[in-house]
Amino acid sequence: MIETVGAKAAAEVVDIGRFSRFIWDTMISSIRSLAKSETYPLIWTQMNIIGVRSVPVIMITGAFVGMTLAIQAYDQLAGMGLEEHLGVLINISVVKELGPVLAAVMLAGRIGGALTAELGTMNVTEQIDAVRSMGTDPIRYLAAPRVLACLLLTPFLIIYADLLGILGGYFVSVIQLGINSRAYWSFSASGVELWDVTIGIVKGLFFGGAIATISCYKGFTCKEGAHGVGQACTEAFVASFISILALDFALAVIFKAVYSTFWPIKSLV
Amino acid sequence: MENIERNNQAGGINSDSIIRLENLTKGFGGNIILDNISLTVEQGKTTVIIGPSGCGKTVLVKHLIVLLRPSSGEVYFRKQRIDNLGENELNKIRMHYGFLFQGGALFDSLSVAENILFPITQHYKINDWRQMDELVKAKLAMVGLDGFQQFYPAKLSGGQRKRVALARAIALNPEVILYDEPTTGLDPINSDVIDELILKLQRELGVTSVIVTHNMTSAYKIADRIIMLHQGKIIADSDAAGIRNHPHPVVQRFINGQANEDDLAVLRASSAIFQSQFLPRDFEE
Repeated sequence: MIETVGAKAAAEVVDIGRFSRFIWDTMISSIRSLAKSETYPLIWTQMNIIGVRSVPVIMITGAFVGMTLAIQAYDQLAGMGLEEHLGVLINISVVKELGPVLAAVMLAGRIGGALTAELGTMNVTEQIDAVRSMGTDPIRYLAAPRVLACLLLTPFLIIYADLLGILGGYFVSVIQLGINSRAYWSFSASGVELWDVTIGIVKGLFFGGAIATISCYKGFTCKEGAHGVGQACTEAFVASFISILALDFALAVIFKAVYSTFWPIKSLV
Repeated sequence: MENIERNNQAGGINSDSIIRLENLTKGFGGNIILDNISLTVEQGKTTVIIGPSGCGKTVLVKHLIVLLRPSSGEVYFRKQRIDNLGENELNKIRMHYGFLFQGGALFDSLSVAENILFPITQHYKINDWRQMDELVKAKLAMVGLDGFQQFYPAKLSGGQRKRVALARAIALNPEVILYDEPTTGLDPINSDVIDELILKLQRELGVTSVIVTHNMTSAYKIADRIIMLHQGKIIADSDAAGIRNHPHPVVQRFINGQANEDDLAVLRASSAIFQSQFLPRDFEE
């Protein structure tokens, strides 16, 4: 019993070590890739697959987040006669928290799953070994362009999610629930700062990096067979989801500390 | 192109051995696959490795190019120890090798022409793409598939995929070509086509070949030397005639395709169980 637990703990430590090494190698390869123009076509291709093709699902996610928030929050605020403040609540939630997190979760499902399945299949069909056998570093050729594309485009995708979240919230609040449009935007403008939007976008950078790195690692280390690829995809999504939530919490704490340090008076008002 | 040709001639030492394994042992999770193997691969010769499934043939051939690192022992390429090199240094060594994987391992997302150009574009700056088109055409012509440049691997048959993979393996004009079960899954005619290709490359390019196979017809046809692996050890090492007359009973059973008595006893016992449980009369009742 103790032996089994010890062996599993040792295996976990080894896996964490391998993942840390993978992150380091990917980071170094990504920086080198940015310095070499020959690798730009690879990054560009991945940007198209990862970024451009994700725009519709991300916009749909954002729109529904905004619309659902409006429906849910209206009754509470109307009960206190504060329904005109609905815009602040929706927009700050969308740009700072729900937009980035839910868009990232959607990306983890759409991109993370696809990356793991693609690289996992390449692994079990010896295509990654083939890359190595031809004297090419598979991390540089396969992982770095995907990580860079995800890292660079997730913030932009989050802007799309925010935009549609704001429009969705506006549509339900003003058109459907009849809140005064001028009041809706006026309260929104006074409550949502550039800082809030920036937080959401910076979160996207971290979320994108985490999704791509975890998904590529799971693909590279996937076990043989269809079951192995399926299991790697599941593990990649679960690990990405948990890391999104953990990063969200950690970044919220950090940004709050930064905000309190630079604008202490504002927080007292 | 000149660079590629130079690469082919690089390290042209007049030595008989090009790859050497010394006391190589490989285990996975306590399970020993290769047990203290020492082996020398002679330059310009075709060495065939035979043995039953799961005996470690693929693991052995992957050690020759250090796609796997040994648990203990050493791997040498042209007198240089390579199993302890970092990946960056190994990548330079690997340019002297071509590797034909069991399933071809062609990149699904790239066309046939892009697959063949892959190793070249990774190591050389291409200025003249017309010259590259000619090179692809020449490589495909060598394997009898000129005209398939724009096809994707999914559209090719098993035999065609292996031939394209072979064209990719020779793209950098390697000194050594490693073949992992090149005829597995192919019909006898396509198997013979692959054997003829291997012989043609041997004649025309003078490459050193190491071939892992189960197929004794292929082995006899192409081998200068045949090595048999069994339970992680080399049990036979001879030319085709020597293997045919080898006294070891495992070698004789393998080359004649005969199951051993223990396996047959297990099969007989299991067939008795099947008879007692699944005869049609049981279902009729």
